[in-house]
Amino acid sequence: MIIVLATCCSVLEEDARDQKPADEIITDANALYLTTLGNLYSQFGADSDGEGLMGTYRGIYDLNTFTTDEAIIPTRGGDWYDGGLWQRLFLHTWETGEAPLKNAWNYLYKVIVSANQALETLASNRNLVPDDDYSSWNAEIRAIRAMYYYYLVDLFGRVPLVTSTSTAMADVAQSKRSEVFTFVKSELEAVVPLLYEGRSNIKGKYYGRITKPVVYFLLAKLCLNAEVYTDDDWTDNLRPECGDYLRETISWCDSLYGLYHLETDYSSNFSVFNENSVENILTIPMDKQEYSSQFQYIFRSLHYDHAAACGMSGENGASATLEALEANGFGTPDQDPRFDLNYWGGTALNLDGAPIVMSSGEPLAYRPLSVALDVSGAVDEKFAGARMRKYAIDPNGMKDGKLVGNDIVLFRYADVILMKAEAMIRLGQDGTSLINEVRDRAGAEPYEKASLDNILKERMIEFAWEGLRRQDLVRFGAFTRAWSSRPALEGEANGYTTVFPIPADVLSVNPKLTQNPEY
Amino acid sequence: MHLKHFISTAALALVLCFSANAQTDTTSSGSHTVTRDRMNKGLVTGGLDALNGQSAGVVITSGANRAAMLDAVRVRGTTSLTGGNDPLVIIDGVASDISTLGTLYPGDIESFTVLKDASETSRYGSRGASGVIKVDTRKGKGGAFSLSYDGISGIESVCKNLDMLDAEGFRAYNRANGYSIIDKGANSYMPGSILRTGTVENHHISFGGGTDESRYRASFGLTDHKTVVKTNRYRTYTAKLDINQGAFDGLLDFDLGVFGSLKKSSDLHDIQHLFYSSAAFNPTFPIGAEADGSYSQIPEASQINNPSSLLEKQFDSDNAHFNAHLQASIHLLKNLELSAFGSYSYNVTEDAHFFPTIVWSHGEAYRGHTRSQDFLGDINLKYTFEAGPHHLELTGLTEALQTVSDGSFATTTGFTTNIFGYDAIQAGALRPWDGTASFFEDVGLLSFMGGANYSYSEKYLLALSIRSDASSKFGPNNRWGYFPSASFTWAAIKEPFLRDLGWLSNLKFTVGYGLSGNQGALGAYNSMSLLRPTGIVNMNGTPTTSFGIVRNANPDLKWEVRSSGNVGLESGFIDNRLVFTAEVYSSLTRDMLYEYEVSVPPFAYNRLMANLGKMSNAGAEFGLGGTPLHNKDMELNINVNLSFQHNKLISLSGWYKGEYLTAPDIAGLNALNGAGFHGGHNDIVHQIVGQPLGVFFLPHCTGLAQAEDGSWYYEMADGEDNRIAGQATPKATLGSNISFRWKDFDISLQMNGAFGHKIFNGTALTYMNLESLPYYNVFSSAPAKGIKDQTVTDYWLEKGDYLNFDYLTVGWNVPIRSSVIHNFRISASVNNLATITGYSGLTPMINSSVVNSTFGLDDKVSFPVYRSYTLGLNIQF
Repeated sequence: MIIVLATCCSVLEEDARDQKPADEIITDANALYLTTLGNLYSQFGADSDGEGLMGTYRGIYDLNTFTTDEAIIPTRGGDWYDGGLWQRLFLHTWETGEAPLKNAWNYLYKVIVSANQALETLASNRNLVPDDDYSSWNAEIRAIRAMYYYYLVDLFGRVPLVTSTSTAMADVAQSKRSEVFTFVKSELEAVVPLLYEGRSNIKGKYYGRITKPVVYFLLAKLCLNAEVYTDDDWTDNLRPECGDYLRETISWCDSLYGLYHLETDYSSNFSVFNENSVENILTIPMDKQEYSSQFQYIFRSLHYDHAAACGMSGENGASATLEALEANGFGTPDQDPRFDLNYWGGTALNLDGAPIVMSSGEPLAYRPLSVALDVSGAVDEKFAGARMRKYAIDPNGMKDGKLVGNDIVLFRYADVILMKAEAMIRLGQDGTSLINEVRDRAGAEPYEKASLDNILKERMIEFAWEGLRRQDLVRFGAFTRAWSSRPALEGEANGYTTVFPIPADVLSVNPKLTQNPEY
Repeated sequence: MHLKHFISTAALALVLCFSANAQTDTTSSGSHTVTRDRMNKGLVTGGLDALNGQSAGVVITSGANRAAMLDAVRVRGTTSLTGGNDPLVIIDGVASDISTLGTLYPGDIESFTVLKDASETSRYGSRGASGVIKVDTRKGKGGAFSLSYDGISGIESVCKNLDMLDAEGFRAYNRANGYSIIDKGANSYMPGSILRTGTVENHHISFGGGTDESRYRASFGLTDHKTVVKTNRYRTYTAKLDINQGAFDGLLDFDLGVFGSLKKSSDLHDIQHLFYSSAAFNPTFPIGAEADGSYSQIPEASQINNPSSLLEKQFDSDNAHFNAHLQASIHLLKNLELSAFGSYSYNVTEDAHFFPTIVWSHGEAYRGHTRSQDFLGDINLKYTFEAGPHHLELTGLTEALQTVSDGSFATTTGFTTNIFGYDAIQAGALRPWDGTASFFEDVGLLSFMGGANYSYSEKYLLALSIRSDASSKFGPNNRWGYFPSASFTWAAIKEPFLRDLGWLSNLKFTVGYGLSGNQGALGAYNSMSLLRPTGIVNMNGTPTTSFGIVRNANPDLKWEVRSSGNVGLESGFIDNRLVFTAEVYSSLTRDMLYEYEVSVPPFAYNRLMANLGKMSNAGAEFGLGGTPLHNKDMELNINVNLSFQHNKLISLSGWYKGEYLTAPDIAGLNALNGAGFHGGHNDIVHQIVGQPLGVFFLPHCTGLAQAEDGSWYYEMADGEDNRIAGQATPKATLGSNISFRWKDFDISLQMNGAFGHKIFNGTALTYMNLESLPYYNVFSSAPAKGIKDQTVTDYWLEKGDYLNFDYLTVGWNVPIRSSVIHNFRISASVNNLATITGYSGLTPMINSSVVNSTFGLDDKVSFPVYRSYTLGLNIQF
């Protein structure tokens, strides 16, 4: 009986060995870093749907890209219909139950709640780190959290501000869009002095981390988009006056001046070894041996034979729209030099630069102008559309070419220059030399005079497939206009589609939340 | 209550208060015993085959390849959302699992008893919450030495497969429509390219003997099953030894058993991909490899591969199981018996796979092992008291079970050669971070039980029991649950006014009610907030592993409780030549454990394991057995069992930490897969509050409509929402056996059926879509129908009703009169004889009971239908 009782007592204790309570793991500063900041950074990139800031499918990037005039995934016969998802994204007829919406929401808040947790963990272990580290780590975590709220305010507008892990469900309620904007901005401003001032995209201690310049960049973005983010009623076609914010944009952009430069070679920002870029500001570190984050967009775009010839696999999907071709002057004598750096628009070449011959014996050539919402049954069903060339193919890429060495570029300096140019134009100043700085680097003809129109066009060319297009179109009031393969959506002109709906499942599990206008 | 305090009081209670052994079957009607002569006689390669269709309310779902693998067994349906729906398998008192039962040789089984009611399963507590299948194996009998041999040998061949467009039709259609195809000039029937004639062999030898005090039985068996799909093979080796030893004139009894098995499997990796590939691959390609050993692929058909090349994948596992148990019983006093039982099980699975570079970019090799160790001990005290018509039995029981599971795996990729397979995984250059891991889990259960059985004149029988169970998986404050049960039986036949009716030979009524706790599939550590490795990040310039919390912890996790009641009738007429049983039951599961969808924020993850919802189950089970003919030369037996089952998901809401949580009322459970099916609007079976678990929720198709280009599409009513269009689980299931003996010859026919459910024919939706051409082949009937659409609607939702003739066996007991050979029997069987169904797909016998990705969904994963033809030999010396 005694033996039985002794056994009984131990039987009910779970001896967790492959996972441990925080207090057992966090015994020194390194462990504290790895359970707080480290854990947050491990979530910037990802390898599964809806996770990560960029690199994967059906998440933030897809919402910002395949809803725009920049890129499209045509239905190709039996391929890429996918229950109509890509068509609905492109036509702006998305439904509240759409998977990418829920993925993006859950992912962004997962990191935010983890950041809240990290702040509390850091506070309760403050004895493990010197005071300086404590305050800079604290600042860095808050900066990450603010950045994630920036993505939320951009996508969903009115979202709940939750800053503590002990927030009860009953207290989770939406703030106005402008309140979220104010929170993000004030948080970033509060923490920026405490951050490391150096660059983040180069290997070293701060590789892939949020440093001062990253926050400057975010503040510039935030201020440039202030007239969108401070607009609590975005369906009335009226926007608040934001001149001060534009002046602020310029000053944040100026803070980055001298720290970064345009790379002479546009493509080197996206090369396999792009850690030395003098232009990239924030990247997701990638390495097929060291990290597990993936970059799946080349895989998604290239024709099967093209990918196979480069040692990877392809899904023959994502293509450039007719608008993107037009902006690049595709096929005209004035074709922008960046077209061939960003897209495959003709004969596909292998890594040695030789044309690829398909199993049918014919050479593989893309037909950019055949692109449409649904190319099923067309002769060039499988070849329609220019494909993604930005990001060099890693010849040693693994996992179908999704596990590669190229760091994923989230923010870069060319954007800073064009943001500043845009702010100046909006303030009635002349941004011509700035826009031409960017064009000049690419070898494109300079503009006589910068205008909002050619800024928007320049952004389409320069930042092709970098996940910025939706935000740009919304800011320019151009997101709701019709474009090829996309008729104007009835009722959209008032701008309700510029903000996504709160995902259906999110509303059903928290009845206190309310849906965005007109969904 | 404080744990230690509780244990001491409970122990005291145990010592002072003995109680009943609810195991006694006298008060039950729900239990159903299947003895050797009733077990299935067709091709049975494992213990479960022998039981299929024999007991009302028991649904056995075999794996996709039917005979070879086993997916699940359901006793009275699904009662829990999170899992733990598999019944407990008890083999000679040792807790086991369904897969082990699958390896047990049928010839070693003496009987199955299926326990369904709460009062019957109370002996097994939470582990028996979803029913208990109790298996008694054959033991040595005192007396002369005996030896027997059982053997089966046979072949399997495909009798029905998908009718795809042949090469001629494929060329013709594509030419007519201006599609360019790669034409390699062959005319291949691709679905057949991965098939062969299967073989099955079973051999089993057993012997035993001893004296009245000391008995033993030993057996050895082996099975070898090559299924109809190339490379797919299962081999099982089992050995079993049981020894009983009595001592001191029967005061002391020892019962020792050891059982060992090894199951070697060569499985098919991703059968959907394999069957999709073999159906849809271009039929103008030759079957097999090119002369240089390479395989031609069609890159445009990115969702499929040359089917022959997929057979180059290695996907193997070895599962070894060892179990030993010892039971000692002492008759302390004339009517007081103490028994102690201890067992140890060791189960280890070694998995290995290699996907060569021809089908997997850069190749992939994997080696892994998982093992689990169970330690079970119980002490049982039984007191019997008899005085005149009064009979009382009291039992007290305490039981502890600990399960430790651990394992590890390693994966490599980056292969330049395929010659090493998985035997030198270091031939792969790259070890992805998430491809290597080890894990550990440790859970325990502790139980006390007391029970009393009282009977008066064998006429009135009352059984009461209460148990308290504790599980380590719950938060410290919620570990203990208390589960009482009671049942009452009136053996009306013993009443004087019925006893003398000549035609009535049995009449019994039973009513019972009880609670049971379930913690089933809940993993360890859900109640704790723990950190584990989450990925690699940069720290001070070096890639370093980060740690984080990866799920919402719930410290308030507690028992899921099911209350169930049952009323039953058992009757027999004319010396039990006709037997009729009926039982109705109803159960309510509350505090239902499930990974509920919760609000993010405040939660970090959108799933929380919690006790919130409710679900009900109700049903009726009928059994009818008759022996209309019985004389020296002839005997006819007919047995039919019929079960009706209704399930309802009542709620997915409840309280958690003072807040009311509600999961979405509608959630998809599975979706279609394949080219053009990734993403939205492909959910088929849903979980909807207020409906049975697993209903079809689809847009309504009003018929086919013609598009401008002449093709047809599934027309949908405008602006109409999805509608609920039937359930995936059968409303009724039927099992029936008819056997007839004439002199030394016998013939036996087994039929199983299921009714009232639907199946979504995703296979037809895929292969009827002409838009798949020219890269994916379609049904031969597709061009005539002209559909260019694969929108999910209820168009391909079909009735799933079927009646299957499982087997027909003819046997001859050769009348050899010999002092050496006691029995000599030869038999011949055909398994899977025929199916009567209106379902248009390959087979309606898909997964209709387990909530997973194949539930109610026929989506390119069904094995071709095959029959087995076997000869059997049985000799007893």
